[in-house]
Amino acid sequence: MSTAPAISAALAPDGDVPIPYMQRTREYYLALGFSPYRWAHFAEVPFAPLRTPLGRARVALITTAAPYQPEAGDQGPRAPYNARAKFYAVYSVPADRDPDLRISHVGYDRLHTSAEDINTYLPLARLREAAAAGRIGELGPRVHGAPTNRSQRVTMETDAPELLRRCREDGVDAAVLVPS
Amino acid sequence: MCHQTVGLAARHLEAHGISTVIMGCAKDIVEHCGVPRFLWSDFPLGNSAGRPFDVESQAQTLELALRVLESAPAPRTTVQSPLRWSADAAWKLDYYDLSKLSPEQIAERRQEFDAVKAVAKAKREGA
Repeated sequence: MSTAPAISAALAPDGDVPIPYMQRTREYYLALGFSPYRWAHFAEVPFAPLRTPLGRARVALITTAAPYQPEAGDQGPRAPYNARAKFYAVYSVPADRDPDLRISHVGYDRLHTSAEDINTYLPLARLREAAAAGRIGELGPRVHGAPTNRSQRVTMETDAPELLRRCREDGVDAAVLVPS
Repeated sequence: MCHQTVGLAARHLEAHGISTVIMGCAKDIVEHCGVPRFLWSDFPLGNSAGRPFDVESQAQTLELALRVLESAPAPRTTVQSPLRWSADAAWKLDYYDLSKLSPEQIAERRQEFDAVKAVAKAKREGA
């Protein structure tokens, strides 16, 4: 017989809540002299239940990480924010090789995260293991990269349709999307 | 911005019949957007798929996401990973903490941001 792990009965500290990123970003950009960013927001949410049991489903991996560009400056662990490493169009790389994808082009938490281990933002190795174990049917043939554009219009009208086109080409039933 | 991007992409895929799950760290941005399924890790941005050099935490995080993918009863399903980044939640106070930036740093970041916007605009207009 195993016993359930003990759960602390103590109240959590007041500050131990989800970080209010929208509020912090708003205050940050106001301090920089910019008007507040209007985050995307929808009243309705689409829903397509999985049609195939996961053990037989083909699953795509979609990332916001960027292909390493040797000429674009420091993109290594602990690199400061590097706008030159950004990309502006959807890309795809084979899922059966280990791609060199970095996150120096986004605002990850540089104080508490080093980005040394790609598996913290790209669960490709773990998905391969899930496929080998039969937990998912198989991994899609390509990993797709989604550009992080401030323009919601560009994301919705250009990038998302392109990701859909590539997912259909790959014949996937489902997608795991991982922001960095 | 990353979290909004995948939110918009997930919505588009889902509207066209592909089931999705997002693994992420920014709860407010993803839920504000409105997405079908979301596995939330209360970790610093950059660790959506688990802790560094901790295969077990990464496997656990993926397994939870897969369960959300196959079993969410309705859209806007968020499940919070039970994993903790550290016993102390003080790390949550540091992100974009303006009190730690000097006026020079703020001016520098503004310049940098203007440059990024100019590049994106040029790409848009050239496309």
